[in-house]
Amino acid sequence: MDLSTILTFLIFGLPLIGFPFVIGIGYIKKNYSMYLGTALIFFSFLITLYLFFSYTVNGTVIQYSFNWLPSLPAIIPLGVYADNLSMIMALMVSFVGFLIILFSVGYMKEDPNRHVFFGEMVLFTSSMLGLVLASSLLMLFIFWELVGLCSYLLIGFWHYKPNAASAAKKAFIVTRVGDVFFIAGIGAAILYSSGGALSISGLGAIHLEWQRTIVALLLFGGAIGKSAQFPLHVWIPDAMEGPTTVSALIHAATMVTAGVYLMARVYSIDTSLLTPTALTVILYVGVVTIILSGLIGLVVNDIKRILAYSTIGQIGYMVAALGLGLGVTSIGLSIYQLEAHAFFKALLFLAAGSILHAVMNVRDINKMGGLWKKMPVTVTAMLVGALALSGFPGFAGFFSKDSIITASYGVSVFAWSLLAIGGFLTTLYAFRMFFKVALGKPRSDPAEHAHESSWIMLIPIVILAAFSAIFGIFQQGFYDFVENKPVTGAFGIAPLTLTDMVPVILMLAGMGIAYYVWGRNSTIPQKVTSGASDFYLLVKNKFYLDVFFTNVIAERGVIGLSAVSDGFERKAIGGLVDASGKLFQNSGKVLRKIQTGLARQYALIILIGLILALLLLRILMLSGVIH
Amino acid sequence: MISQISDLFLVLIIVMAASVVMRGRAPRYLTILFSGVILVFLSFNDLTLTNFNYGTLSILSLTFQLNFVSSVLLILISIIGIFIPLRYKSTPGFFILLQFLFLSLIGLFTVRDFIVFYIFWEMVLIPSFFVIGIWGGKSKNYAAMKFFIYTHIGSVFMLLAIFTMFFAEGASNFSMSTLISGISTISLPYQAFVIFGFLFAFLIKLPTVPLHSWMPDAYVEAPTEGTVFISSLLSKMGAFGLLVIFSPIFMASSLAGSTLVPIALMALGIFSLIYSALVALYQKDLKRMMSYTSIGHMSFITIAVGGFLYLNGSNPLASQLLYYGAVFQLISHGIIIAMIFSLVDTLEKATGTRHIPSLGGLARKLPGLSFLILAAFLASVAIPGFSGFVGEISILLGSYAVLKFYLIFVLIGVVLTASYHVFALQRTIFGPYNEFLGNISARKEELLVAILPLALIFVLGIYPALIFHIFDIHAIQFLGGIHP
Repeated sequence: MDLSTILTFLIFGLPLIGFPFVIGIGYIKKNYSMYLGTALIFFSFLITLYLFFSYTVNGTVIQYSFNWLPSLPAIIPLGVYADNLSMIMALMVSFVGFLIILFSVGYMKEDPNRHVFFGEMVLFTSSMLGLVLASSLLMLFIFWELVGLCSYLLIGFWHYKPNAASAAKKAFIVTRVGDVFFIAGIGAAILYSSGGALSISGLGAIHLEWQRTIVALLLFGGAIGKSAQFPLHVWIPDAMEGPTTVSALIHAATMVTAGVYLMARVYSIDTSLLTPTALTVILYVGVVTIILSGLIGLVVNDIKRILAYSTIGQIGYMVAALGLGLGVTSIGLSIYQLEAHAFFKALLFLAAGSILHAVMNVRDINKMGGLWKKMPVTVTAMLVGALALSGFPGFAGFFSKDSIITASYGVSVFAWSLLAIGGFLTTLYAFRMFFKVALGKPRSDPAEHAHESSWIMLIPIVILAAFSAIFGIFQQGFYDFVENKPVTGAFGIAPLTLTDMVPVILMLAGMGIAYYVWGRNSTIPQKVTSGASDFYLLVKNKFYLDVFFTNVIAERGVIGLSAVSDGFERKAIGGLVDASGKLFQNSGKVLRKIQTGLARQYALIILIGLILALLLLRILMLSGVIH
Repeated sequence: MISQISDLFLVLIIVMAASVVMRGRAPRYLTILFSGVILVFLSFNDLTLTNFNYGTLSILSLTFQLNFVSSVLLILISIIGIFIPLRYKSTPGFFILLQFLFLSLIGLFTVRDFIVFYIFWEMVLIPSFFVIGIWGGKSKNYAAMKFFIYTHIGSVFMLLAIFTMFFAEGASNFSMSTLISGISTISLPYQAFVIFGFLFAFLIKLPTVPLHSWMPDAYVEAPTEGTVFISSLLSKMGAFGLLVIFSPIFMASSLAGSTLVPIALMALGIFSLIYSALVALYQKDLKRMMSYTSIGHMSFITIAVGGFLYLNGSNPLASQLLYYGAVFQLISHGIIIAMIFSLVDTLEKATGTRHIPSLGGLARKLPGLSFLILAAFLASVAIPGFSGFVGEISILLGSYAVLKFYLIFVLIGVVLTASYHVFALQRTIFGPYNEFLGNISARKEELLVAILPLALIFVLGIYPALIFHIFDIHAIQFLGGIHP
């Protein structure tokens, strides 16, 4: 192990080993936890930065694995694999993670359990760093599970709130459904490659097309759960019960991007690992997710849930980008969208957190309004976030998302049109949220008394806003770096065509409509909801997917089956066992009567028994059983 | 010093005799000494494969073997033997019975003669029966009787199977190696009966649904220290039987390579997993719920053995993942379930109830206990970092080679298991505090003792090579099929 390997291990190892100390030191003084936690992630970021500029940019891939389970015929590797893709992810995770934790120092400073909170945040970030640097599918899965565990603990951080406890449970179980597909995918990868595909670099050892399809689809099953894609996206909106900084971390840097990273990771090793069948599934799961989440985002009133649905949609773009099947170009498009999204989504969540901090955690946007004057920095930052989210020319989302839409034109016009409509919906709900928060008059008492947050919360917001605004300038370099070759012809680099303008026009139209409908006093929303009431109800009820999962599958299905099993257990099995017990007791009572005490009767019974035994022996000998 | 197993038995019997003679606290501390002696014995033998041959006694062959499964189980016995005395200040009688049980189990896990195996198998029943019957809960007699009769029905079939082998083969003694290697010479119906007889006995003991109904009663009615050792050690008898007795018999028989029995085993395992999770989901009594957890964990062993026999050595990687995973699962489950039941006891002592709807929000009043319960539950759900993960993931990955698409049923079981665990957590330690519980507190020393199993669970979960190394230093002789 040389220095670079040790340092790579330290990127996630330092916070991983440090997190118990973060909690422990809190018993001396609660605030020490905050400082130690922030420092740990900051060190991780510095190490990543150092490795990035002294190794990765020179084309060095840091690889090191050891055998986790000895004695087996194949090596079960755990270790690090740091190439361009994983290092750029690690850089983003540690940087955004650091900013969010810095923001938490201000946001959580009055919580009595903040030492636990910071410990869990550190563990969360380090798990995600371990995930992106993993050298094998198994190690990736280990950290994948730890990420899930941390989200469970953090969503339920305010565990005394019944909603939070319930949301944590839901997140855990729903992502668990995805996780088991991941397990099956690793099992399949092991079987079809005789263990070779366990390490990331050996994934190409799966040779047959149908085997690759199976592995890809099973792994994608895991990604669907983690990255909240249709139909396993239902846990994310509920997960808003946790502290806002947790939501920021889940949505921007960790957790939901893990699924996209997994697929990109697999794709980057060998572009034929995602077969055409798998790619089609991936593309359309992404597209469906974008449209559904865009529609739902329009009718939700909870500011955090709007952002949650926007995350689902934006991840949909990343997934769809991979599903386009353009080889390394897809990876570039997808990961660039991932990182751009990380910046503006972290920004939007932190801005939302800052607002909620000011308005006493009233999350309904109908109760806000006029906050631009009260909190100029936060709400201006939010405007930057909304512009970036909807892809206003010049902002991060414009370069990342419109590139994907443009690239899709060459693959499928149908997918292209849906992706473009998705962009339109994104703009609508982003500006619906922004106009309702920023403009008009305060519509509630807390909004009336809102005031700007403290500087420690504003610094991360401003940094993130700056990145969301200027991230576009890295586009060319980013593609070159991730794809490991000079890229030409990408959107924004190649000359614009007419179809390239469609998303921009749709976006500007969306902004206009959003202002016309929600930016001023208007009765249009009421008219639309009453005019298309069936459709409105369908969307308002989230296409009845939540109801289906919660009421039909969980409550009727599983709990019902469980009640039946319990009844069967007690009545049938328990009853049968007790009945056979009774049978022997009662037969004992009956047979007791032949105990007469009369010697002659006994002698008779012995005689009869003897004759029967001899007869039986004779029959057995005749039939050849006994020789 | 005590590298011979006869010396081990001698020393252990002396320790036991001392426990009988001395009163008061002595038996409790002597139990810890007892466990220490086992560890010393293991370390003198370097955990390697060792055969101990003491000639024959009439038709019995006094042969013992320390193989990797028995090494792992002996380690588990000593862990439990240290944990129970530290955690519980029970009466001297209990500890004497416990030592007697350990002695029987050590014999059971090492002996290589079928009749002596049977004798040890029966000896184990005695202390368990008395512990449930004397110190048990409300319907202790019912539970003790049920436990006894159930196991006994299994034992009868096992005894018949042993005699069938002995007489049909015309063997001169009951040595396992000769009887097992000669099994393919006898007629097929006899072979089938032998396989059935052993399987039946082991599946009852494991237990596997639908032969499990003794178990929730025995676990719930037993005193908590009894539950700890019954759940942790006694279920390992069935698992040991399946892995070390049944598998070689099956692979040596003419039925080796046939798929009916392995498929049936896997189907039973999957059914047990799903069924136990569904029943557990509906339980209101935390202790009863956790006894179904035990069924769920042990069903992974059934699946692993079924998959291992199905492969019949054709895929070494998958075979060994299954087999080693199962052995790892033995020690991992043994520690986790001991921790869970002792924490349920602490919880019951602190709150006065283990009825789930009467609890709620304990994290607020009992943060230490809640943390430990959370950790134990996560270990039970097989979250990485805890030892449960290693056994489960090995078995799941290995069984894909056998089950392929049908793995989905195992995975449904995994999700259901996770569901009832987090559902129970939500209703006990999370959520709003149940004010009816009043002002409660847990005993500090009980929480401190729980750190011992937790630490072991962590160490094994992060560095499973500790156990997997043992597999490496053994030449696997008695299972020809592992190395084709």
